[in-house]
Amino acid sequence: MNSKKGKKTKTKMSIMAKREEKWGLLFVAAPAVGFLLFMLYPIIFAFLTSLTTWNGAKGFQGMLDRFCGFDNYIKLFTDAKFWQTLLTTTIYLLGIPIGMIIGLLCAMGMNRKIPGVRVLRTMYYIPVISSLVSVSILWAWVYNYDYGLLNTIIKTLTGLHGPNWLGDEALIKVSMIIFMVWKGLGTSIILYLAGLQNIPRSYYEAAMVDGANGWQKFRNITLPLLSPVTFYILVTTLIGGFQVFVEVQVMTPNGNGGIGYSAATIVFYLYQKAFESFQLGYASAIAVILAIIIFVITLFNFAGQKKWVKTID
Amino acid sequence: MKKKLVSLMLATVLAVSCFAGCGKAESGETAEAATEETTEETAEESVGAKITVDESATDNVAVEGDYSDADLTVFIFAQDHEKAVYQSLIDKFTETTGAKVTFEVTTSDEYGQKILAYKAAGDMPDIFYVGPEAVASNVDDGYILPLDDYVSEETVADLWPAITTAYRYDGKEAGTGSLYCLPKDLSTFAFAYNKTMFDEAGVAYPDPANPYTWEEFVEVCQSLTKDKDGDGEIDQWGCANALQWALDAFIYTNGGHFLNDDYTEVVIDGQKEFIDAFQYFADLTCKYGVTPTVEQDTALGGYQRWLDGQIGFYACGTWDVGAFMDKNTFPYEWGLCAWPVGSTGVSMTRNGSVGFAVSADTEYPDAAAALITLFSTDLEGQRVLSGETTGASLQVPNTMSYAKGDFKDRIADGTIPYGENAEVIFNYLEGTDKYKGIFVETTYTYNADWWNEFLSGGYEYVLNGEMTAAEYCAQVQPAMQAALDSANEMKAAASGQ
Repeated sequence: MNSKKGKKTKTKMSIMAKREEKWGLLFVAAPAVGFLLFMLYPIIFAFLTSLTTWNGAKGFQGMLDRFCGFDNYIKLFTDAKFWQTLLTTTIYLLGIPIGMIIGLLCAMGMNRKIPGVRVLRTMYYIPVISSLVSVSILWAWVYNYDYGLLNTIIKTLTGLHGPNWLGDEALIKVSMIIFMVWKGLGTSIILYLAGLQNIPRSYYEAAMVDGANGWQKFRNITLPLLSPVTFYILVTTLIGGFQVFVEVQVMTPNGNGGIGYSAATIVFYLYQKAFESFQLGYASAIAVILAIIIFVITLFNFAGQKKWVKTID
Repeated sequence: MKKKLVSLMLATVLAVSCFAGCGKAESGETAEAATEETTEETAEESVGAKITVDESATDNVAVEGDYSDADLTVFIFAQDHEKAVYQSLIDKFTETTGAKVTFEVTTSDEYGQKILAYKAAGDMPDIFYVGPEAVASNVDDGYILPLDDYVSEETVADLWPAITTAYRYDGKEAGTGSLYCLPKDLSTFAFAYNKTMFDEAGVAYPDPANPYTWEEFVEVCQSLTKDKDGDGEIDQWGCANALQWALDAFIYTNGGHFLNDDYTEVVIDGQKEFIDAFQYFADLTCKYGVTPTVEQDTALGGYQRWLDGQIGFYACGTWDVGAFMDKNTFPYEWGLCAWPVGSTGVSMTRNGSVGFAVSADTEYPDAAAALITLFSTDLEGQRVLSGETTGASLQVPNTMSYAKGDFKDRIADGTIPYGENAEVIFNYLEGTDKYKGIFVETTYTYNADWWNEFLSGGYEYVLNGEMTAAEYCAQVQPAMQAALDSANEMKAAASGQ
């Protein structure tokens, strides 16, 4: 009778079910506590700090003493370096489509039973699992003007001196993008490989019967059915791409952000403000703005998902 | 049973992995601290002499007092060879007083960041470094102890005057009031020349009594700049100057300065003395070609080239002496000389200092004060640090009586290996009619952001000739001024409490 009136009656659970529920909650508690401690609390703390000019001293009292409302945000809008680094960060995002295209091509190439394909897959994936700092140091030497691998090769092959990979305002961005593409290629390849192998062969066979050529098969079967993978890669690399920091710190001399600050990203600027100038409040404001930007872009992506991401069913 | 085990393992993995949730951000390895010395020592971080300290070097060190209940933490930055020497002093301290000391060392790059972490955790080490530019904020925030009760007046009077001024603060103004730090050292950034290279080129040594004018300096450098192996490319240069550390020497000797007298305005745009000096500095690279080019400098820094014998003149800080005297690191004869003089006729360079501070929260102030006294003013301790007992000089002694007395004598008789013309160091520290050392202007401002603006505005274009110094100063001054204004606002807000 009660259910007909729309009232929800509490179903009595058996003792076994209650025990299971308790265990379930316990399992969930671990990552939940982790999230609260290491994600939610720092986010709230960062937001509160962004309302102050805190320099790290005197704990909470120090923060309260230096409360300044939204001054930091107002200052940010007229901060030339903030906009410069925002632009540089956006330019670095160009590496994402480049990485995806190359990754897809490699994945298609490796999606056959050729001998040594396992070795190839491992080779491509090693940069991904390597320490970012270590490979950045390595590449800093590869790009070295006089002694680097690249310029040595160029000199041997053509007799000309190679360009100043890390010393030219425009070229350093290209060098960084090349590095970032190289580092992330493995992930794209593995994911696209998995995606490719999930496409039922029957589709290709049907297309062949209909007389489709390679490009048509690619455009009408492969690409659409890979769109979930593309979507995933796009979202995650965008989120990560906005937070590029280590490469800039390691590959520019003395961590100076490049000639005329040309290689510096937002997080690099944030780091300098926080840990070199001790302006933690201002840095937190930068962090909050960055979080909002990433959030909006991700939201935008998810909204667009309905339009272009197709699944097999 | 198996299921339970698996569930338990899964639960543990879950629990542990939530702590790994910090995800992508691999924190950067290097951070640049704000203090004077740190920026200078960063350049020389990568290569240092491997000096081992003989046990007998600290034989005469003894500290009175029974501190057997004390448990101290010392946290400083130091290069490897410095660390060894401090460790030997600490060992003697624990031996003679019974105290327990935990000695932590990091690189100068990371020091500022780590101290910040300690502050945030509310768990300061008992003894740590504070530079002259950080005394006021540390005192205002209540982090360091006044040391007046722990050091005698005659000891303080024996310290170099520049030191005591740097570490005094009365709550409003620096330079007067209580003493908050005992100096690690007072250092200066002198100029050195490669005697072996001069001999080969047949060029006369510089005379410390008569510093070169800028015209003379260029000529000498040109006579040293050559293509030694005949491959068409220059591989030996007259000098190599890292702008971040060497520009000051040229600016100040020409009567120029970055800021006005009360540190509220950036005054480089249109300032003849500054622009002429900066242009001359750049001309050494782009017009006279007596330094490696900007690109060559990014490939291999000036310091490495100097150690490799490619450079005629290079900066030598008091902390470099030990490394330059080590034949494995620098296998050439060398001497000290003056930075070339500009329109003022006085050779100027930057002095630096960092001080030992005692945490305001320490539980063992007496023991801590005794330890920093050992590091800073104790005569036997100074004999060790200055190189008299170890044979490798880390610093000029802090006490004038020892510095101008035995220390000078030991250099003269060779007990302390030193480059020739050690009096140059003293000239810069004390000041003479031809020599003067000063603290750079970032010491007196709330932070060094205005200086960082100068460094990140693309000065390399001036060095490679694409831009003139005048144009650069005009271009970069607004950003510098904005940063300085911001700093002064923060200073006002901070002292308003």
